Amino acid sequence: MVFSSLIFLYLFLPVCLLCYGLSPSLPVKNAVLMLFSLAFYAWGEPTYIILLLISVLMNYLFGLGIGKCQQTKKAGLSKVIMIISMIFNLGLLGVFKYSGFIVENLNLIPGVSLPIPHLTLPIGISFYTFQILSYIIDLYWEEIDVQRNPFHLLLYISMFPQLIAGPIVRYSSIADEIKNRKITIVDISEGLTRLMMGLGKKVILANHLSTIVDDFFGENIQLSVAGTWYAVIVYAMQIYFDFSGYSDMAIGMGRMFGFHFDENFRHPFLCKDISEFWQRWHISLGTFFRDYVLYIPIFGKRRKYGGLFLVWFCTGLWHGASWNYIIWGLYFGTFILIEQLIGKKRIKKIPLVLRHVYNKIVIIVGFGIFYFEDIGRLGSFFRNLVGLNGNALYDNVTELSVRNNLFLLIAAFACCFPLYEGVKMLRNRHASLVKVTNVLQAVWNAALLVVSSILLVDATNNPFLYFRF
Amino acid sequence: MTKQEAMEALTPIFREVFDDDSIELDDEMTSSDVEGWDSVEHFNLISEIESVFQMRFKMKEVSGMKNVGELAEIVAERGTL
Repeated sequence: MVFSSLIFLYLFLPVCLLCYGLSPSLPVKNAVLMLFSLAFYAWGEPTYIILLLISVLMNYLFGLGIGKCQQTKKAGLSKVIMIISMIFNLGLLGVFKYSGFIVENLNLIPGVSLPIPHLTLPIGISFYTFQILSYIIDLYWEEIDVQRNPFHLLLYISMFPQLIAGPIVRYSSIADEIKNRKITIVDISEGLTRLMMGLGKKVILANHLSTIVDDFFGENIQLSVAGTWYAVIVYAMQIYFDFSGYSDMAIGMGRMFGFHFDENFRHPFLCKDISEFWQRWHISLGTFFRDYVLYIPIFGKRRKYGGLFLVWFCTGLWHGASWNYIIWGLYFGTFILIEQLIGKKRIKKIPLVLRHVYNKIVIIVGFGIFYFEDIGRLGSFFRNLVGLNGNALYDNVTELSVRNNLFLLIAAFACCFPLYEGVKMLRNRHASLVKVTNVLQAVWNAALLVVSSILLVDATNNPFLYFRF
Repeated sequence: MTKQEAMEALTPIFREVFDDDSIELDDEMTSSDVEGWDSVEHFNLISEIESVFQMRFKMKEVSGMKNVGELAEIVAERGTL
Protein backbone atom coordinates (compact mmCIF):
# COMPACT_ATOMS: atom_id res chain seq x y z
CA MET A 1 0.00 0.00 0.00
CA VAL A 2 1.43 3.39 -0.94
CA PHE A 3 0.48 6.68 0.71
CA SER A 4 -0.63 8.08 -2.61
CA SER A 5 -3.37 5.52 -3.17
CA LEU A 6 -7.10 5.90 -2.71
CA ILE A 7 -7.35 2.90 -0.39
CA PHE A 8 -4.74 4.42 1.92
CA LEU A 9 -6.17 7.94 1.88
CA TYR A 10 -9.84 7.05 2.15
CA LEU A 11 -9.83 3.84 4.16
CA PHE A 12 -6.63 2.91 5.97
CA LEU A 13 -5.62 6.35 7.29
CA PRO A 14 -9.10 7.56 8.38
CA VAL A 15 -9.86 4.27 10.17
CA CYS A 16 -6.43 4.33 11.81
CA LEU A 17 -6.84 7.95 12.93
CA LEU A 18 -10.34 7.24 14.24
CA CYS A 19 -9.22 4.22 16.30
CA TYR A 20 -6.20 6.20 17.49
CA GLY A 21 -8.30 9.22 18.47
CA LEU A 22 -10.84 7.06 20.32
CA SER A 23 -8.14 5.22 22.28
CA PRO A 24 -8.42 6.28 25.92
CA SER A 25 -4.76 6.17 26.95
CA LEU A 26 -1.25 6.34 25.53
CA PRO A 27 -0.53 2.58 25.88
CA VAL A 28 -3.71 1.85 23.89
CA LYS A 29 -2.79 4.49 21.30
CA ASN A 30 0.66 2.89 20.97
CA ALA A 31 -0.93 -0.55 20.53
CA VAL A 32 -3.34 0.77 17.88
CA LEU A 33 -0.55 2.47 15.97
CA MET A 34 1.63 -0.66 16.16
CA LEU A 35 -1.12 -2.99 14.94
CA PHE A 36 -2.07 -0.70 12.07
CA SER A 37 1.62 -0.39 11.18
CA LEU A 38 2.06 -4.15 11.05
CA ALA A 39 -1.09 -4.47 8.96
CA PHE A 40 0.25 -1.76 6.63
CA TYR A 41 3.53 -3.64 6.18
CA ALA A 42 1.87 -7.05 5.83
CA TRP A 43 -0.34 -5.63 3.05
CA GLY A 44 2.75 -5.24 0.86
CA GLU A 45 5.03 -7.84 2.45
CA PRO A 46 2.96 -10.76 3.79
CA THR A 47 6.06 -13.00 3.90
CA TYR A 48 8.91 -10.71 4.84
CA ILE A 49 7.04 -9.27 7.82
CA ILE A 50 8.52 -12.30 9.60
CA LEU A 51 11.98 -10.93 8.81
CA LEU A 52 11.03 -7.57 10.30
CA LEU A 53 9.71 -9.20 13.48
CA ILE A 54 12.78 -11.44 13.84
CA SER A 55 15.03 -8.43 13.31
CA VAL A 56 13.27 -6.41 16.01
CA LEU A 57 13.26 -9.37 18.43
CA MET A 58 16.97 -10.07 17.92
CA ASN A 59 17.91 -6.42 18.36
CA TYR A 60 15.70 -6.16 21.41
CA LEU A 61 17.76 -9.02 22.92
CA PHE A 62 21.05 -7.45 21.75
CA GLY A 63 19.92 -4.23 23.40
CA LEU A 64 19.10 -5.98 26.68
CA GLY A 65 22.51 -7.65 26.55
CA ILE A 66 24.36 -4.37 26.02
CA GLY A 67 22.32 -2.74 28.79
CA LYS A 68 23.15 -5.58 31.19
CA CYS A 69 26.88 -5.37 30.37
CA GLN A 70 26.88 -1.64 30.99
CA GLN A 71 25.23 -2.15 34.36
CA THR A 72 27.84 -4.72 35.35
CA LYS A 73 30.70 -2.70 33.81
CA LYS A 74 31.64 -5.37 31.26
CA ALA A 75 32.76 -3.04 28.45
CA GLY A 76 34.44 -5.81 26.45
CA LEU A 77 31.35 -8.00 26.32
CA SER A 78 29.21 -4.98 25.46
CA LYS A 79 31.45 -4.34 22.44
CA VAL A 80 31.22 -8.00 21.38
CA ILE A 81 27.39 -7.89 21.47
CA MET A 82 27.41 -4.62 19.53
CA ILE A 83 29.64 -6.16 16.84
CA ILE A 84 27.46 -9.31 16.65
CA SER A 85 24.43 -7.07 16.23
CA MET A 86 26.14 -5.12 13.44
CA ILE A 87 27.05 -8.37 11.66
CA PHE A 88 23.49 -9.63 12.07
CA ASN A 89 21.84 -6.44 10.78
CA LEU A 90 24.25 -5.67 7.96
CA GLY A 91 24.33 -9.39 7.14
CA LEU A 92 20.56 -9.45 6.60
CA LEU A 93 20.79 -6.35 4.45
CA GLY A 94 23.73 -7.86 2.57
CA VAL A 95 21.97 -11.16 1.85
CA PHE A 96 18.67 -9.68 0.72
CA LYS A 97 19.94 -6.61 -1.07
CA TYR A 98 23.46 -7.30 -2.29
CA SER A 99 23.96 -11.07 -2.67
CA GLY A 100 22.95 -11.08 -6.37
CA PHE A 101 25.22 -8.11 -7.11
CA ILE A 102 28.19 -9.64 -5.26
CA VAL A 103 27.83 -13.00 -7.03
CA GLU A 104 27.45 -11.31 -10.44
CA ASN A 105 30.75 -9.51 -9.86
CA LEU A 106 32.50 -12.61 -8.50
CA ASN A 107 31.45 -14.43 -11.67
CA LEU A 108 33.50 -11.94 -13.66
CA ILE A 109 36.64 -13.57 -12.25
CA PRO A 110 37.85 -16.18 -14.78
CA GLY A 111 36.95 -19.70 -13.68
CA VAL A 112 34.29 -18.60 -11.20
CA SER A 113 30.70 -19.49 -12.05
CA LEU A 114 28.40 -19.31 -9.05
CA PRO A 115 24.60 -19.51 -9.30
CA ILE A 116 23.11 -16.02 -8.98
CA PRO A 117 20.60 -15.80 -6.10
CA HIS A 118 17.37 -14.01 -7.01
CA LEU A 119 16.00 -12.76 -3.70
CA THR A 120 13.21 -10.23 -3.60
CA LEU A 121 14.16 -7.08 -1.72
CA PRO A 122 12.03 -6.81 1.43
CA ILE A 123 10.29 -3.42 1.36
CA GLY A 124 11.96 -0.80 3.52
CA ILE A 125 14.83 -3.05 4.69
CA SER A 126 17.45 -0.36 3.96
CA PHE A 127 15.56 2.11 6.09
CA TYR A 128 14.57 -0.02 9.05
CA THR A 129 18.00 -1.68 9.27
CA PHE A 130 19.58 1.75 9.71
CA GLN A 131 16.97 2.72 12.30
CA ILE A 132 17.76 -0.40 14.33
CA LEU A 133 21.51 0.28 14.00
CA SER A 134 21.00 3.79 15.40
CA TYR A 135 19.36 2.23 18.46
CA ILE A 136 22.15 -0.31 19.01
CA ILE A 137 25.06 2.11 18.45
CA ASP A 138 23.58 4.91 20.56
CA LEU A 139 22.92 2.37 23.30
CA TYR A 140 26.49 1.09 23.08
CA TRP A 141 27.73 4.69 23.28
CA GLU A 142 25.52 5.18 26.37
CA GLU A 143 23.67 8.04 24.67
CA ILE A 144 20.29 6.43 25.39
CA ASP A 145 18.71 4.04 27.88
CA VAL A 146 17.95 0.44 26.98
CA GLN A 147 14.37 -0.18 25.82
CA ARG A 148 12.98 -2.93 28.03
CA ASN A 149 9.54 -2.99 26.46
CA PRO A 150 9.75 -5.04 23.23
CA PHE A 151 6.52 -3.49 21.94
CA HIS A 152 7.96 0.00 22.23
CA LEU A 153 10.94 -1.07 20.12
CA LEU A 154 8.61 -2.72 17.63
CA LEU A 155 6.50 0.45 17.48
CA TYR A 156 9.62 2.54 16.81
CA ILE A 157 10.72 0.32 13.93
CA SER A 158 7.34 -0.51 12.43
CA MET A 159 5.61 2.90 12.69
CA PHE A 160 4.03 3.07 9.25
CA PRO A 161 4.64 6.73 8.37
CA GLN A 162 8.41 6.17 8.26
CA LEU A 163 8.74 2.38 7.98
CA ILE A 164 9.31 1.83 4.30
CA ALA A 165 10.89 4.93 2.77
CA GLY A 166 12.19 7.05 5.62
CA PRO A 167 13.08 9.50 6.93
CA ILE A 168 15.56 7.40 8.93
CA VAL A 169 14.22 8.35 12.34
CA ARG A 170 16.74 7.97 15.17
CA TYR A 171 15.52 6.08 18.21
CA SER A 172 16.96 8.85 20.39
CA SER A 173 14.76 11.45 18.69
CA ILE A 174 11.46 9.75 19.53
CA ALA A 175 12.27 7.58 22.58
CA ASP A 176 10.64 10.12 24.91
CA GLU A 177 7.61 10.60 22.69
CA ILE A 178 6.89 6.85 22.66
CA LYS A 179 6.49 7.04 26.44
CA ASN A 180 4.93 10.46 26.74
CA ARG A 181 3.40 12.71 24.11
CA LYS A 182 0.55 15.12 23.72
CA ILE A 183 -1.28 15.67 20.47
CA THR A 184 -2.43 19.24 20.07
CA ILE A 185 -4.78 20.75 17.52
CA VAL A 186 -1.73 22.51 16.03
CA ASP A 187 -0.04 19.12 15.52
CA ILE A 188 -3.09 17.80 13.67
CA SER A 189 -3.49 20.96 11.57
CA GLU A 190 0.19 21.25 10.63
CA GLY A 191 0.47 17.49 10.14
CA LEU A 192 -2.49 17.48 7.77
CA THR A 193 -1.04 20.38 5.80
CA ARG A 194 2.29 18.53 5.41
CA LEU A 195 0.45 15.38 4.39
CA MET A 196 -1.48 17.22 1.67
CA MET A 197 1.63 19.07 0.53
CA GLY A 198 3.46 15.76 0.12
CA LEU A 199 0.50 14.20 -1.66
CA GLY A 200 0.39 17.10 -4.13
CA LYS A 201 4.16 16.91 -4.73
CA LYS A 202 3.88 13.22 -5.52
CA VAL A 203 0.62 12.94 -7.44
CA ILE A 204 0.44 16.30 -9.22
CA LEU A 205 4.13 16.99 -9.85
CA ALA A 206 6.32 13.84 -9.62
CA ASN A 207 3.92 11.46 -11.41
CA HIS A 208 3.52 13.83 -14.36
CA LEU A 209 7.19 14.71 -14.56
CA SER A 210 7.90 10.98 -14.72
CA THR A 211 5.92 10.60 -17.94
CA ILE A 212 8.19 13.19 -19.59
CA VAL A 213 11.28 11.33 -18.35
CA ASP A 214 9.91 8.00 -19.64
CA ASP A 215 9.26 9.55 -23.06
CA PHE A 216 12.83 10.82 -23.36
CA PHE A 217 14.88 8.20 -21.52
CA GLY A 218 13.08 5.13 -22.91
CA GLU A 219 15.03 2.50 -24.86
CA ASN A 220 16.23 3.30 -28.40
CA ILE A 221 15.24 6.96 -28.42
CA GLN A 222 17.51 9.37 -30.29
CA LEU A 223 18.07 12.38 -28.06
CA SER A 224 19.39 15.80 -29.01
CA VAL A 225 21.76 17.64 -26.68
CA ALA A 226 18.91 19.93 -25.59
CA GLY A 227 16.57 16.95 -25.16
CA THR A 228 19.08 15.13 -22.93
CA TRP A 229 19.57 18.15 -20.68
CA TYR A 230 15.83 18.79 -20.58
CA ALA A 231 15.04 15.18 -19.62
CA VAL A 232 17.67 14.96 -16.90
CA ILE A 233 16.59 18.30 -15.38
CA VAL A 234 12.99 17.04 -15.33
CA TYR A 235 14.22 13.78 -13.76
CA ALA A 236 16.06 15.70 -11.02
CA MET A 237 12.82 17.51 -10.17
CA GLN A 238 10.83 14.26 -10.36
CA ILE A 239 13.09 12.52 -7.83
CA TYR A 240 13.00 15.57 -5.56
CA PHE A 241 9.20 15.81 -5.52
CA ASP A 242 8.78 12.06 -5.27
CA PHE A 243 11.11 11.58 -2.34
CA SER A 244 10.55 14.86 -0.49
CA GLY A 245 6.81 14.38 -1.08
CA TYR A 246 7.03 11.02 0.66
CA SER A 247 9.04 12.60 3.51
CA ASP A 248 6.44 15.38 3.84
CA MET A 249 3.69 12.79 4.11
CA ALA A 250 5.70 10.77 6.65
CA ILE A 251 6.54 13.82 8.78
CA GLY A 252 2.95 15.09 8.51
CA MET A 253 1.38 11.81 9.58
CA GLY A 254 3.94 11.40 12.35
CA ARG A 255 2.89 14.81 13.61
CA MET A 256 -0.79 13.80 13.52
CA PHE A 257 0.10 10.90 15.83
CA GLY A 258 2.06 13.26 18.10
CA PHE A 259 5.60 12.45 16.89
CA HIS A 260 8.05 15.10 15.74
CA PHE A 261 10.42 13.65 13.13
CA ASP A 262 13.41 15.67 11.98
CA GLU A 263 13.24 17.30 8.57
CA ASN A 264 14.61 15.26 5.66
CA PHE A 265 14.80 17.95 2.92
CA ARG A 266 15.45 21.68 3.06
CA HIS A 267 14.99 22.94 -0.50
CA PRO A 268 18.17 21.26 -1.77
CA PHE A 269 18.27 23.04 -5.14
CA LEU A 270 18.88 26.36 -3.36
CA CYS A 271 22.33 25.14 -2.29
CA LYS A 272 25.39 27.23 -3.10
CA ASP A 273 27.81 24.29 -3.29
CA ILE A 274 27.74 20.49 -3.33
CA SER A 275 28.56 20.16 0.38
CA GLU A 276 25.50 22.28 1.12
CA PHE A 277 23.36 20.22 -1.27
CA TRP A 278 23.95 17.18 0.93
CA GLN A 279 23.05 19.15 4.03
CA ARG A 280 19.68 19.79 2.41
CA TRP A 281 19.00 16.49 0.56
CA HIS A 282 18.01 13.27 2.38
CA ILE A 283 19.31 14.78 5.62
CA SER A 284 18.51 11.73 7.73
CA LEU A 285 20.81 9.54 5.61
CA GLY A 286 23.62 12.12 5.57
CA THR A 287 23.55 12.60 9.34
CA PHE A 288 23.44 8.81 9.81
CA PHE A 289 26.66 8.36 7.84
CA ARG A 290 28.20 11.45 9.47
CA ASP A 291 27.59 10.14 12.98
CA TYR A 292 28.19 6.43 12.49
CA VAL A 293 30.66 6.09 9.60
CA LEU A 294 32.61 9.32 8.88
CA TYR A 295 34.88 9.19 11.94
CA ILE A 296 35.38 5.42 11.91
CA PRO A 297 38.94 4.89 13.20
CA ILE A 298 40.21 2.42 10.60
CA PHE A 299 42.22 4.74 8.40
CA GLY A 300 44.80 5.94 10.94
CA LYS A 301 46.31 9.29 10.04
CA ARG A 302 44.44 9.32 6.74
CA ARG A 303 41.06 9.06 8.40
CA LYS A 304 39.91 12.42 7.12
CA TYR A 305 40.05 11.27 3.50
CA GLY A 306 39.42 7.61 4.28
CA GLY A 307 36.25 8.50 6.17
CA LEU A 308 35.07 10.73 3.36
CA PHE A 309 35.66 8.01 0.77
CA LEU A 310 33.87 5.39 2.88
CA VAL A 311 30.85 7.65 3.50
CA TRP A 312 30.33 8.34 -0.21
CA PHE A 313 30.96 4.75 -1.21
CA CYS A 314 28.33 3.67 1.34
CA THR A 315 25.94 6.44 0.28
CA GLY A 316 26.09 5.16 -3.27
CA LEU A 317 25.86 1.49 -2.33
CA TRP A 318 22.95 2.11 0.04
CA HIS A 319 20.88 3.36 -2.88
CA GLY A 320 21.14 0.13 -4.80
CA ALA A 321 23.10 -2.97 -5.70
CA SER A 322 24.46 -1.59 -8.95
CA TRP A 323 27.69 0.07 -10.04
CA ASN A 324 25.98 3.25 -11.20
CA TYR A 325 24.92 4.02 -7.61
CA ILE A 326 28.48 3.50 -6.35
CA ILE A 327 29.79 5.77 -9.13
CA TRP A 328 27.07 8.28 -8.19
CA GLY A 329 28.16 8.28 -4.53
CA LEU A 330 31.87 8.60 -5.32
CA TYR A 331 31.09 11.30 -7.91
CA PHE A 332 29.58 13.49 -5.19
CA GLY A 333 32.36 12.53 -2.77
CA THR A 334 34.92 13.73 -5.32
CA PHE A 335 33.30 17.16 -5.67
CA ILE A 336 33.00 17.49 -1.89
CA LEU A 337 36.69 16.61 -1.56
CA ILE A 338 37.58 19.22 -4.19
CA GLU A 339 35.51 21.82 -2.34
CA GLN A 340 37.26 20.88 0.89
CA LEU A 341 40.69 21.20 -0.71
CA ILE A 342 39.83 24.63 -2.17
CA GLY A 343 38.46 25.70 1.20
CA LYS A 344 35.31 27.57 2.15
CA LYS A 345 37.06 30.92 2.40
CA ARG A 346 38.16 30.81 -1.25
CA ILE A 347 34.87 29.35 -2.48
CA LYS A 348 32.99 32.22 -0.87
CA LYS A 349 34.96 34.67 -2.98
CA ILE A 350 33.66 33.12 -6.23
CA PRO A 351 30.64 35.05 -7.61
CA LEU A 352 27.37 33.48 -6.48
CA VAL A 353 26.06 33.07 -10.04
CA LEU A 354 29.07 30.94 -11.00
CA ARG A 355 28.69 28.83 -7.85
CA HIS A 356 25.04 28.15 -8.71
CA VAL A 357 25.87 27.25 -12.31
CA TYR A 358 28.62 24.89 -11.14
CA ASN A 359 26.61 23.07 -8.51
CA LYS A 360 23.44 22.76 -10.61
CA ILE A 361 25.38 21.17 -13.48
CA VAL A 362 27.08 18.73 -11.10
CA ILE A 363 23.80 17.84 -9.38
CA ILE A 364 21.82 17.44 -12.59
CA VAL A 365 24.48 15.31 -14.31
CA GLY A 366 24.60 13.31 -11.06
CA PHE A 367 20.93 12.44 -11.46
CA GLY A 368 21.75 11.05 -14.91
CA ILE A 369 24.24 8.67 -13.25
CA PHE A 370 21.49 7.80 -10.76
CA TYR A 371 19.01 6.98 -13.54
CA PHE A 372 21.01 4.70 -15.80
CA GLU A 373 21.79 1.36 -14.11
CA ASP A 374 23.10 0.03 -17.43
CA ILE A 375 26.64 1.34 -17.74
CA GLY A 376 26.47 1.24 -21.56
CA ARG A 377 23.41 3.47 -21.55
CA LEU A 378 25.06 5.72 -18.97
CA GLY A 379 27.99 6.20 -21.34
CA SER A 380 25.57 7.02 -24.15
CA PHE A 381 23.83 9.55 -21.84
CA PHE A 382 27.16 11.34 -21.24
CA ARG A 383 27.88 11.46 -24.98
CA ASN A 384 24.36 12.76 -25.64
CA LEU A 385 24.90 15.57 -23.13
CA VAL A 386 27.74 17.01 -25.19
CA GLY A 387 26.73 15.86 -28.68
CA LEU A 388 29.37 13.14 -29.05
CA ASN A 389 26.83 10.59 -30.34
CA GLY A 390 26.49 12.58 -33.55
CA ASN A 391 23.19 13.77 -32.12
CA ALA A 392 21.63 17.12 -33.04
CA LEU A 393 21.95 20.13 -30.78
CA TYR A 394 18.24 20.71 -30.73
CA ASP A 395 15.04 19.04 -31.90
CA ASN A 396 11.34 19.76 -32.28
CA VAL A 397 10.22 16.96 -29.96
CA THR A 398 11.91 18.71 -27.03
CA GLU A 399 10.35 22.04 -27.95
CA LEU A 400 6.92 20.44 -28.23
CA SER A 401 7.33 18.72 -24.85
CA VAL A 402 8.30 22.01 -23.17
CA ARG A 403 5.29 23.75 -24.74
CA ASN A 404 2.84 20.99 -23.84
CA ASN A 405 4.06 20.81 -20.26
CA LEU A 406 4.78 24.48 -19.69
CA PHE A 407 2.45 24.97 -16.71
CA LEU A 408 3.69 21.77 -15.05
CA LEU A 409 7.32 22.80 -15.53
CA ILE A 410 6.71 26.32 -14.16
CA ALA A 411 4.83 24.92 -11.16
CA ALA A 412 7.57 22.37 -10.50
CA PHE A 413 10.29 25.01 -10.77
CA ALA A 414 8.41 27.35 -8.40
CA CYS A 415 7.88 24.55 -5.87
CA CYS A 416 11.65 24.09 -5.60
CA PHE A 417 11.61 27.36 -3.64
CA PRO A 418 10.38 27.71 -0.04
CA LEU A 419 6.92 29.08 -0.89
CA TYR A 420 5.12 27.58 2.10
CA GLU A 421 7.78 28.86 4.50
CA GLY A 422 7.38 32.31 2.91
CA VAL A 423 3.64 32.34 3.56
CA LYS A 424 4.23 31.19 7.15
CA MET A 425 6.75 33.98 7.68
CA LEU A 426 4.33 36.57 6.34
CA ARG A 427 1.62 35.25 8.62
CA ASN A 428 3.87 35.42 11.66
CA ARG A 429 4.83 39.00 10.87
CA HIS A 430 1.34 40.33 10.24
CA ALA A 431 -1.27 39.32 12.81
CA SER A 432 -4.04 40.55 10.52
CA LEU A 433 -3.16 37.82 7.98
CA VAL A 434 -3.62 34.92 10.40
CA LYS A 435 -7.33 34.40 9.75
CA VAL A 436 -7.02 34.82 5.99
CA THR A 437 -4.09 32.40 5.71
CA ASN A 438 -5.83 29.85 7.95
CA VAL A 439 -8.87 29.84 5.65
CA LEU A 440 -6.63 29.75 2.57
CA GLN A 441 -4.66 26.86 4.04
CA ALA A 442 -7.84 24.83 4.60
CA VAL A 443 -9.05 25.57 1.06
CA TRP A 444 -5.60 24.75 -0.36
CA ASN A 445 -5.44 21.44 1.52
CA ALA A 446 -8.91 20.48 0.29
CA ALA A 447 -8.01 21.46 -3.27
CA LEU A 448 -4.82 19.36 -3.17
CA LEU A 449 -6.78 16.37 -1.88
CA VAL A 450 -9.51 16.70 -4.51
CA VAL A 451 -7.13 17.20 -7.44
CA SER A 452 -4.83 14.39 -6.27
CA SER A 453 -7.78 12.04 -5.78
CA ILE A 454 -9.10 12.74 -9.28
CA LEU A 455 -5.65 12.09 -10.72
CA LEU A 456 -5.30 8.89 -8.67
CA VAL A 457 -8.53 7.46 -10.06
CA ASP A 458 -6.87 7.44 -13.47
CA ALA A 459 -3.36 6.56 -12.31
CA THR A 460 -1.98 3.24 -13.40
CA ASN A 461 1.63 3.44 -12.30
CA ASN A 462 2.30 5.22 -9.07
CA PRO A 463 5.07 3.69 -6.95
CA PHE A 464 7.36 5.86 -4.85
CA LEU A 465 10.88 5.56 -6.28
CA TYR A 466 12.54 5.18 -2.90
CA PHE A 467 10.50 2.05 -2.18
CA ARG A 468 13.09 0.04 -4.05
CA PHE A 469 15.87 1.02 -1.68
CA MET B 1 45.31 21.03 31.95
CA THR B 2 42.23 22.71 33.42
CA LYS B 3 39.06 23.18 31.43
CA GLN B 4 39.67 26.94 31.46
CA GLU B 5 43.16 26.46 30.00
CA ALA B 6 41.70 24.17 27.36
CA MET B 7 39.10 26.79 26.44
CA GLU B 8 41.82 29.44 26.10
CA ALA B 9 43.94 27.20 23.91
CA LEU B 10 40.93 26.19 21.80
CA THR B 11 39.91 29.78 21.03
CA PRO B 12 42.65 30.50 18.41
CA ILE B 13 41.95 27.12 16.75
CA PHE B 14 38.25 27.98 16.41
CA ARG B 15 39.11 31.45 15.07
CA GLU B 16 41.47 29.96 12.51
CA VAL B 17 39.18 27.12 11.34
CA PHE B 18 36.07 29.31 11.04
CA ASP B 19 38.01 32.37 9.88
CA ASP B 20 36.38 34.65 12.45
CA ASP B 21 38.48 36.56 14.99
CA SER B 22 35.44 37.60 16.99
CA ILE B 23 34.68 34.06 18.21
CA GLU B 24 34.55 33.87 22.02
CA LEU B 25 34.03 30.36 23.33
CA ASP B 26 31.65 29.47 26.11
CA ASP B 27 30.35 26.19 27.53
CA GLU B 28 26.94 26.33 25.92
CA MET B 29 28.14 27.23 22.43
CA THR B 30 27.03 24.76 19.72
CA SER B 31 27.51 24.38 15.98
CA SER B 32 24.40 26.48 15.31
CA ASP B 33 26.09 29.49 17.01
CA VAL B 34 29.05 29.55 14.61
CA GLU B 35 28.61 30.31 10.93
CA GLY B 36 29.92 27.53 8.70
CA TRP B 37 30.19 24.89 11.45
CA ASP B 38 28.95 21.93 9.42
CA SER B 39 30.08 18.30 9.34
CA VAL B 40 33.00 19.07 7.02
CA GLU B 41 34.30 21.90 9.21
CA HIS B 42 33.67 19.78 12.30
CA PHE B 43 36.05 17.21 10.86
CA ASN B 44 38.62 19.93 10.13
CA LEU B 45 38.22 21.31 13.64
CA ILE B 46 38.65 17.87 15.23
CA SER B 47 41.75 17.14 13.09
CA GLU B 48 43.30 20.47 14.05
CA ILE B 49 42.58 19.98 17.76
CA GLU B 50 44.02 16.44 17.61
CA SER B 51 47.21 17.72 16.04
CA VAL B 52 47.68 20.70 18.41
CA PHE B 53 46.86 18.80 21.61
CA GLN B 54 48.48 15.51 20.48
CA MET B 55 45.44 13.43 21.29
CA ARG B 56 42.83 11.25 19.58
CA PHE B 57 39.09 11.60 19.95
CA LYS B 58 36.93 8.49 20.18
CA MET B 59 34.25 8.08 17.50
CA LYS B 60 31.56 8.38 20.15
CA GLU B 61 33.03 11.69 21.32
CA VAL B 62 33.26 13.23 17.85
CA SER B 63 29.66 12.33 17.04
CA GLY B 64 28.20 12.79 20.48
CA MET B 65 29.65 16.00 21.93
CA LYS B 66 26.80 18.41 22.59
CA ASN B 67 28.61 21.74 23.00
CA VAL B 68 31.98 23.46 23.36
CA GLY B 69 31.95 22.78 27.12
CA GLU B 70 31.97 19.02 26.52
CA LEU B 71 34.71 19.39 23.91
CA ALA B 72 36.86 21.39 26.34
CA GLU B 73 36.36 18.78 29.07
CA ILE B 74 37.66 16.00 26.79
CA VAL B 75 40.64 18.16 25.73
CA ALA B 76 41.41 19.09 29.36
CA GLU B 77 41.35 15.41 30.35
CA ARG B 78 43.48 13.90 27.59
CA GLY B 79 45.18 16.70 25.66
CA THR B 80 48.73 17.97 26.15
CA LEU B 81 50.11 21.34 25.19
